[in-house]
Amino acid sequence: MHSKKVRFLTIFASLACLLWLFGLGWTLKDYLIGKPSSASISPSTDEPVETTEETSVLKIVALGDSLTRGTGDIEGKGYVGYVSDRLKAAGKDISLINLGIKGLTAPLLADQMKEKEVGRQLGQADVIMMTIGGNDLFLGGQTLSDVSEASIRALEDRYLLNLQEILSGIRAVNTEATVYLLGLYNPFSEFENGEQLSEVVRGWNYKAAELLAKDAKTVYVPTYDLFQQNVNELLFTDHFHPNEKGYSRMAERVAALITGAEQGGQP
Amino acid sequence: MSDITLSVQGLRKVIGKRTIIKDLSFELKRGEVFGFLGPNGAGKTTTIRMLVGLIKPTSGSIHICGLDISKHFTKAMRHLGCIVENPELYPFLSGMDNLRHFAVMISGITQSRIDEVVQLVGMQDRMNDKVSTYSLGMRQRLGIAQALLGKPDVLILDEPTNGLDPSGIREMRSFIRFLAEEEGLTVLVSSHLLHEIQLMCDRVAIVSKGEIVRVDSVEALLSSEERLVWRLDPIDQGKAILRELTAIVNETEESVTTSYIEHEVGGWNRRLVEAGVTVLEMNRRLPALEDLFLELTGGESID
Amino acid sequence: MINLVQNEMTKLMGKRRFMIIAIIIIVLLSMFTYAQSKEAESILERIGTTDWRTELQQQIVDMQNRLSSAGQWREQFQIQIKQSQYYLDNNINPAQPGAPTFIRGFVQNSAELFLPLLVMIIAVDIVSSERSMGTIKLLLTRPVSRFKILLSKYIALILSVSIVIFLFGSLSYLVSAVMFGNQGWSAPVLTGFSSQGGELDISGVRLVSQWQYIIQQFGLAWFISVVVGTLSFMLSILMRSSAAGMGTMLACLISGAILSNMVSSWESAKYLFMVNLGLMDYVSGSAPPIDGMTLGFSLSVLAVWMLGSLIVSFTVFMRKDIY
Repeated sequence: MHSKKVRFLTIFASLACLLWLFGLGWTLKDYLIGKPSSASISPSTDEPVETTEETSVLKIVALGDSLTRGTGDIEGKGYVGYVSDRLKAAGKDISLINLGIKGLTAPLLADQMKEKEVGRQLGQADVIMMTIGGNDLFLGGQTLSDVSEASIRALEDRYLLNLQEILSGIRAVNTEATVYLLGLYNPFSEFENGEQLSEVVRGWNYKAAELLAKDAKTVYVPTYDLFQQNVNELLFTDHFHPNEKGYSRMAERVAALITGAEQGGQP
Repeated sequence: MSDITLSVQGLRKVIGKRTIIKDLSFELKRGEVFGFLGPNGAGKTTTIRMLVGLIKPTSGSIHICGLDISKHFTKAMRHLGCIVENPELYPFLSGMDNLRHFAVMISGITQSRIDEVVQLVGMQDRMNDKVSTYSLGMRQRLGIAQALLGKPDVLILDEPTNGLDPSGIREMRSFIRFLAEEEGLTVLVSSHLLHEIQLMCDRVAIVSKGEIVRVDSVEALLSSEERLVWRLDPIDQGKAILRELTAIVNETEESVTTSYIEHEVGGWNRRLVEAGVTVLEMNRRLPALEDLFLELTGGESID
Repeated sequence: MINLVQNEMTKLMGKRRFMIIAIIIIVLLSMFTYAQSKEAESILERIGTTDWRTELQQQIVDMQNRLSSAGQWREQFQIQIKQSQYYLDNNINPAQPGAPTFIRGFVQNSAELFLPLLVMIIAVDIVSSERSMGTIKLLLTRPVSRFKILLSKYIALILSVSIVIFLFGSLSYLVSAVMFGNQGWSAPVLTGFSSQGGELDISGVRLVSQWQYIIQQFGLAWFISVVVGTLSFMLSILMRSSAAGMGTMLACLISGAILSNMVSSWESAKYLFMVNLGLMDYVSGSAPPIDGMTLGFSLSVLAVWMLGSLIVSFTVFMRKDIY
């Protein structure tokens, strides 16, 4: 009595209904009644871990704290973004991964580097950019009230120890890449004991630069001088992070170093 | 099977505190057209909805062909065809699909039976068109086709001529007569139009305020109320004489109306003549159902 | 009975319900696939590589950065980070590009609101439209019991839900296969994560192929839709107008979506059906709206609601006077 179309639709719907019931039943079986014992995971090896290197691409890995993340830049790019913009504008083919995490300190970065994937990323990198130390030194502004030599010394020692660990961590997976560590600036130079703090920052930077100097492919990039004058023009409203102007000054410097090294390194 | 096809006993419906239907009882015979007459709100529709099982009665019983619809609903409905209010069909389906839809709900209806009823209502040309393109008259006919599908013994039609044009009404009327006379169906027709009922029905139930005021054949109802209109000169003397002889139903400046009692009318006339009253006119009048209705329901308006 | 069900299917087809639903799905799909491909483009531009590990690592770091400002989403983020890290550590791509992955994400996101909405289009007027058209008077004066008539309508509803889910699946397959390619059916997916008190529990984690995962997802999506359909069905009987039923059901679904995000301290809210519609989240391993809710719990709550509304539907329909 019913048209073929309706009969077909009804039969078809019944089959679909059975299929979904089956799916539901399967879910119930898997998730509620006796979970399958094959809980052990054998990582699929259907593709090799070492992906084929795209040789023409310059691979950049950025590590570190909020500066690497770009906090304070209303465009959210940070110096990393501006570096990449400049390199792209210069006609370079780049790939970029930004592993910066807000509030990261040197010990935490050392931990992060132990992650397998981070290690792999670093291993493939041609260029590694880093900002680390700001949080170790300023402790979110706490240091401002206690600039006694003893406490600074303690912070400094711990930082250098961790920085050493980070650098050797990088070299353990990648002996070739150039590492750029951006130094600290003093955001508090116009504060009450800013002068005193500037001295601390210079000392800190000096020691870090000294440490880096042990490796030829590890470059210390100063930023102190960039923020020495008109610091408020270059800082974000939080008086700690750079704003887009500050970031782009930092980027200018790093980008120039990278392009210079690349051209020099070309046979 | 007896001749009684539909029997209603002591039917009541109470909603909240209001008793909408008060103790209805009537019986319908095979081959008759039964009218259900009453003003809007008298309880016609509620009663019909109880007859077809849409509303459950508070008390009382309904039997269709001897089957109690509260106990053997599906068996009883097998003998019933109906249209309740407008013939609402699925506008997005074709006429044929509509009929098929209802046909599969009754066991043993074949395509040839569908074709038969389509033929009967004369709709064979438009069956593959969507119902939304039909005129009201065509929908009404399709509605009847649908009601006739299961070869019912009782057909219930609620306001079957509602919204039809005069020729449609005439057609419907003769079709209903045909079904009762030729096919032997019992047809129950409800209407608020007295004229309709008068022309179409064998028997009438007059319903008012949830009660049946009177059930009788149309002729009996009308003849019992035959009137005689007198024009007399001098009128006052004539009135006095007639008042002694019989009840005066109505009087105006010029005429007097009495009931018509065939074997006494001659005597009354003689008495008037003997008393010197000139009888200018004696006019026997069959009243319209309308007058009757007004009388029975105590002046309740019909529309 | 089969005839009655086919009657209902005829009417649904006559009303072009399936066509409307298919069109809605296609419109949404084209928007989603476009958005997806745009997103892939922008990621490519940002990190300059298509290596999924790099991408995932970047995502993890991005999430870590948002943690401090995440507020009430903090727990969700933490779990997601841990999960992604787990994928990464086990060298499994959680988003193998291709049609299956797209379907997986699409179902995951549609099961709670979009699919139930589509089902509502059918369910909410399956009875009330008969009443508003007046055809219910014809339907209920046939020699068929009211129980059978309602049952045939309910079965038709279940069948329609199955069709809607099938349409959804096949259309999203067609569109995404054209956009992203057909590969990745046997790609591994990690499942069995469970999270309690904001901590990710990986003891039950196991590997399934993507096609299996998708079938299970569709099974759950179907169940959610059937539950919502059954509730709408009840409203369709209780309420005179389809619009009122639609509005009520919509309000429930939306309040469910809102409540799921804020009821963590209102313990007894977990017995509301709308808070339990996120069955997919148990399988994918995100945090439940209220601590202690599990897949089994939610399924039982939904089943009870469904049963309850069926009982109400049938009792009301069989007793109701039709005026």
